[in-house]
Amino acid sequence: MKNNTADVIVIGAGIIGAATGYYLAKKKLKVYVLEKEFPCFGSTGRCIGGIRQQYTHPLSINVMKESVKIFSSLNKEFGKDIEWFPGGYLFLAHSEEQKNTYLSTIQIQHKFNLPVRFISADECNNIVNGINTEGLLGGAYCPTDGQANPFAVTYGYLQRIKELNGKVFTNSNVSKIKTSGNKAKSVITNCGEYFAPVVINATGSWAKHVSKMVGLDVPIEPERHESLVTEACERLFDPMLVDYRSDGCYFIQNYGTGHFIGCYTPVPNNPGYDRRASSEFITEMPRRMSRLVPRLKELKVIRQWAGSYEMTPDGNPIVDKTPVEGFYISAGMCGHGFMFGPALGKYMSELVTTGKTSLPLDDFALNRSFGKAEAMK
Amino acid sequence: MKQNTIICRCEEITEKEIIKVIEQGYHSLDEIKRLLRCGMGHCQGRSCTMIIARILSQKTGQPMSKIKITTSRPPLKPISIKVLSEYKSHEE
Repeated sequence: MKNNTADVIVIGAGIIGAATGYYLAKKKLKVYVLEKEFPCFGSTGRCIGGIRQQYTHPLSINVMKESVKIFSSLNKEFGKDIEWFPGGYLFLAHSEEQKNTYLSTIQIQHKFNLPVRFISADECNNIVNGINTEGLLGGAYCPTDGQANPFAVTYGYLQRIKELNGKVFTNSNVSKIKTSGNKAKSVITNCGEYFAPVVINATGSWAKHVSKMVGLDVPIEPERHESLVTEACERLFDPMLVDYRSDGCYFIQNYGTGHFIGCYTPVPNNPGYDRRASSEFITEMPRRMSRLVPRLKELKVIRQWAGSYEMTPDGNPIVDKTPVEGFYISAGMCGHGFMFGPALGKYMSELVTTGKTSLPLDDFALNRSFGKAEAMK
Repeated sequence: MKQNTIICRCEEITEKEIIKVIEQGYHSLDEIKRLLRCGMGHCQGRSCTMIIARILSQKTGQPMSKIKITTSRPPLKPISIKVLSEYKSHEE
């Protein structure tokens, strides 16, 4: 095989491209990963590393159960620590309405044997020592959710691809995808042309743009989200705290380093490719964090940044083949790409090699109606 | 420098660890940062970024002027959550 020809070209070296490429390389296919900047430049490197199974959509729950299984086995698979830590997720309720929402989502999650339960404010305080219990009615707690290091996981997958005869090309910006008789044929970058009968669009925020190169219109639009990280300190508590109020936030203490890292969902949203950090966020986020856990107020913020959630109309990803033969898409992760990545990579490798997946992904299909929104976004 | 010299003091990354990833083929500061966390600690790379750039230049032959420096991000100095949360902008 020529050194510009592969079995599969994956565009994008975030978690989706890295995991998908790895599971394909493991099936003995020669994989090329093309990345326009460097691995984790896009959403993966800007995410805070949370991993949860607490969803309402049955497919998302099943995908995440598989992902958690994979995350817990990656240290062994990579021969290095990806900092997987099942410290749980705690979704807080500050109103009867929010509490009732969680009680009904827990009913759904129990059908999938998730060990989620609604715990009292006192129990919340046992798990998160020093949490502000004023107005707190309790929370939905799943102890088998957790976190991992997005860089370690993504670079780990890419390293394995290289060991399995694949290649990762950085600073390789795709400008054109050539087809022949409605079949994917080659990909043109600033570093040259690469040939493969299978091309996978794993470009996150840029998935719409890259799909247009083969004449497809996919409903994926980026939105700006911001994050910050504090200095490290001794371990204070284990779970990701999620406050769904309109002025809420979510944050977690990084298991590997001890830094606190968090975000909030801006209201209204910020559509577009803008990834500049704002002064509004760096003053507002500390207010929201210290309102939930007042003892954090002496910690210092060391860095803030912004990244994109790549949104679809219903808050669920698009993972599918397309009307162009050999051209696949796995994008539109809506802020859940890191945690969905390992399982979706595995399923995409099945789709490419066998034409079907061991878990039916119909609800993530490209031609779905986009009507059924995820309640735990 | 001895190979066990600490280059990134905040994250305690040694010269040896940095050289190892360069030899594995990671030839940009952005990749080295994400692999090792150097420059992601309390000082935000003020102490180590240029030293790592120099090591990268020596090991790969890239001139210093061609090495892309990692993005500097706010705040300039660490600020406590308490101080930030009490901040009121002049526009309010």
